[in-house]
Amino acid sequence: MSSTSRTLVACFLLGSLLLIVVWSTLEGGLPPADFTFINESEVKSVDPALISGQPEGRIATSIFEGVVRNDPETLEPIPGVAKSWEISEDRLVYTFFLRDNARWSDGLLVTAYDFAYSWRRFLDPRTAAEYAYQAWYIKNAHDYSLGGSGIQPGDPVEIELNLPPTAINTLRGEVLHGKLIRIIPRRDEERDFLVEIDGKEITYRPTDDSEAARNDPPEGVAWCRQVLLDFREVGIKVIDELTMQITLENPTPYFLGLLGFYPLYPVNQKCLETYGAPQWTKADNIVTNGAYKIVFRRIRDRIRMIKSEYYWNRENVRLELVDALAVESLTTALNLYLTDKADWIGDVPPPAMRELIREEPPRNDLNPVPYLSSYFYFVNTQIKPLDDVRIRRALSMALDREEITSKLLPAGEPPSLSLVSPGIENYRTQTADAENPELARQLFAEAGYPEGHGFPRLEILTNTHEAHQAIAELIRKQWQRVLGITVKTRNEEWGAYNASLRLGKYDLARRGWIADYSDPNTFLDMFTTNSEQNSTGWSNAKYDELLELAQIEPDPDKRFRLLEQAERILLDELPMIPIYTYVSKNMVKPYVRGFYNNVRDDHPVWAMWIDRSQESPNPFLRGRQ
Amino acid sequence: MTSFMVRRLLWMAITLLVVYTVSFFLMRSVPGGPFDRERVLEPEIMKNIEKRYNLDKPLYQQYLIELGKVVRGDLGYSYKINDYTVNEVIAEGLPISVALGSLALIFATTLGLVAGVTSAVLRGTWGDVLLMLIATLGIALPNFVIAGICIILFVFLLPLFPAAGWGDFNQLVLPAFCLGAPYAAYIARIARTSMLDILSQDHIRTARAKGVGPLRLILVHALRGALLPVVSFLGPAVAGILTGSLVVEQIFAIPGLGSHFVQAALQKDYTLAMGLVLLYTLLLYVMNWLVDLSYALLDPRVELE
Repeated sequence: MSSTSRTLVACFLLGSLLLIVVWSTLEGGLPPADFTFINESEVKSVDPALISGQPEGRIATSIFEGVVRNDPETLEPIPGVAKSWEISEDRLVYTFFLRDNARWSDGLLVTAYDFAYSWRRFLDPRTAAEYAYQAWYIKNAHDYSLGGSGIQPGDPVEIELNLPPTAINTLRGEVLHGKLIRIIPRRDEERDFLVEIDGKEITYRPTDDSEAARNDPPEGVAWCRQVLLDFREVGIKVIDELTMQITLENPTPYFLGLLGFYPLYPVNQKCLETYGAPQWTKADNIVTNGAYKIVFRRIRDRIRMIKSEYYWNRENVRLELVDALAVESLTTALNLYLTDKADWIGDVPPPAMRELIREEPPRNDLNPVPYLSSYFYFVNTQIKPLDDVRIRRALSMALDREEITSKLLPAGEPPSLSLVSPGIENYRTQTADAENPELARQLFAEAGYPEGHGFPRLEILTNTHEAHQAIAELIRKQWQRVLGITVKTRNEEWGAYNASLRLGKYDLARRGWIADYSDPNTFLDMFTTNSEQNSTGWSNAKYDELLELAQIEPDPDKRFRLLEQAERILLDELPMIPIYTYVSKNMVKPYVRGFYNNVRDDHPVWAMWIDRSQESPNPFLRGRQ
Repeated sequence: MTSFMVRRLLWMAITLLVVYTVSFFLMRSVPGGPFDRERVLEPEIMKNIEKRYNLDKPLYQQYLIELGKVVRGDLGYSYKINDYTVNEVIAEGLPISVALGSLALIFATTLGLVAGVTSAVLRGTWGDVLLMLIATLGIALPNFVIAGICIILFVFLLPLFPAAGWGDFNQLVLPAFCLGAPYAAYIARIARTSMLDILSQDHIRTARAKGVGPLRLILVHALRGALLPVVSFLGPAVAGILTGSLVVEQIFAIPGLGSHFVQAALQKDYTLAMGLVLLYTLLLYVMNWLVDLSYALLDPRVELE
């Protein structure tokens, strides 16, 4: 090869590199959206049954709609797909009347059958829905979603037969109905089910489709996918196309609100069964029933949504084109917001918050307010000396929460002495003993550790995160100062930290809780003896009983009094030490309207619009100091 | 030549298998899993989920199942972005990373060569010192620091470029520059050294004696010889740029492989992380291979064994 041609080759190579760059970026040029918000991380899915996070919720709430919606300001349930409903005297039976103009994005009517289909799928153990417990308030729903573990001899059951492994994975196999005679345990957790169908007894053995297609079942046994409680036993009943009746296990005052929460949104059966999962979630395939539909998705970049022409309330949806950007870094998100590339960000990095909140005159796009949430420390009550309630109370009383929040939490997070954060109407806030170093030292002396002498070294466990570590450090100093005890801090990566909590390998551990629904129960039921969330080892029979009583109490007022008593016990016994309440950290451009601060930091896009004239007052800034 | 190729292919297969196996077991040995939440899942729900992803099976069985799929070219579904297969994520992310990398490489070579050659020619002057100082800084500063400085300068003080995002050429300039800067610095130093080496050789003196102009002397006679070390650095540089865009992609919110890799690792998205580890291994291997081949092409003294 001559030197000239070699140079030519090199130039050509470089040139083609440039071409690649240009080519790949040209197709990326997009018309700007009317409204752009930062949706933090890439969504796990757009399938409402499979998701559990806030970013996912924002998308699901835009493209789907439940039986009810939650008002963007008060979060009270307002009509969604249902135009009205009736609740029985005992608050157990809900009858929903669906509107006759709620349509899917393919133009077809949203019916009661769609909800029955979606909720059955949601409860099906094969769907493996993380949020399944959100539907366990419905009668027998819990047993249904336990699959083979939820049935007992004598129960009416349904048997789902296998399909060929090549079948579309969202299809259900043929369903037979019968009565369970006996469960025959096999090795490990596997079981056979002896079922009577039309007077004939058959033994079913659950297996997966490929196994069933490859091998004939052993003598005297028939293959099936799974044996479940008969779905007709579950309190979900379709009366006619536009009417359905839901029967609950217990009177659950917040049930209506849950129906406006994304796990119970409907999905389109035809769409699912035509494309299978997850292909049905592709922008080209998906059929939705909400205010928006998906135009396209680019992984870890954006989801673009456009107003749906079939949505029943389309006249009141005012943003045409909406972009949800998946930007993981808080600083990057803030940069985009400050350079007008985004209209709403949901979080601000703490160092920047410190500056922004201090600006004079105050910014007209920032108004942090507390929401239903709690930041606290778990106390491992199973180890000495933390099993002594005096020690736990002293630790709590020795804390200067004011110092923690003012020094380390720039957004104005309020110090807290309760588990249930304020903001639930009619619920009287309970508080633990306030700061009292004198009494704390006295309690320590009573427990046998005067001035901290002989007190073993305690350790505070946090997950690895700057803010948590800083708080733990300050608390360490405060306890050292007031009680004269040695405390150290340890941080672990998320997975390890969770494992340590579960195994009880900690003394004190940082924990946060954000309400799933606006009711004290979402906080209180994490400390019952059997709760998966309760890693403190604390157990109190009276507390459990109060929560159970509250569950069956139909009168909302009496119910709250029971829950208050329960929280009282908790705050006297202190298996957890409350520290502060989280605040929302939204920054919203001043021309955005329909954005309200509320107690769950929940902001549906369908309620928002843009008012460039900015003549109307901005409700977002209401109540700002 | 053929035996060289076959041997390399074989080694590649072995390398990939070893990398896959080691990272599979390393990843699973880290406590916690992809389904850890602030809220502990009910045991029944957890069981359903683990069953769905085969996580209830013994580790060696999971390994064999996953390996079987990978061998057939199916990297499986992502655990954390359920709506996509790993193949789809790579198909979307790779062109983006390649585009970013290409521009970074163009920055690196042009800036590096110009700076290197200039400082060689200006040897010993303050210009030489200044250029090499900048080059040393470029090597020493991690690219997230360069990115921070660039954002303050060119996004906020002088609003020339957007802060982040992906879609048009403007958004690509800053990240490509930050990604290419350390490589430009390396190339500048390499080019300077080899240029100085060549400039002192006999054939250059001869050319100069024959009356070749200074521009032609440098660009045609000297530069050609000085390019070889730069070319041999390009292989690792391409691989480095393609696999080293993790931080820059995060800072500039670019949906390329780097972002996916960081998130997959943090979120314990087993399948996606494994898929990307394999892809990165493959990229590195192929790049080194190409460098070896190009040696033979550029320098007749090199023989492939």
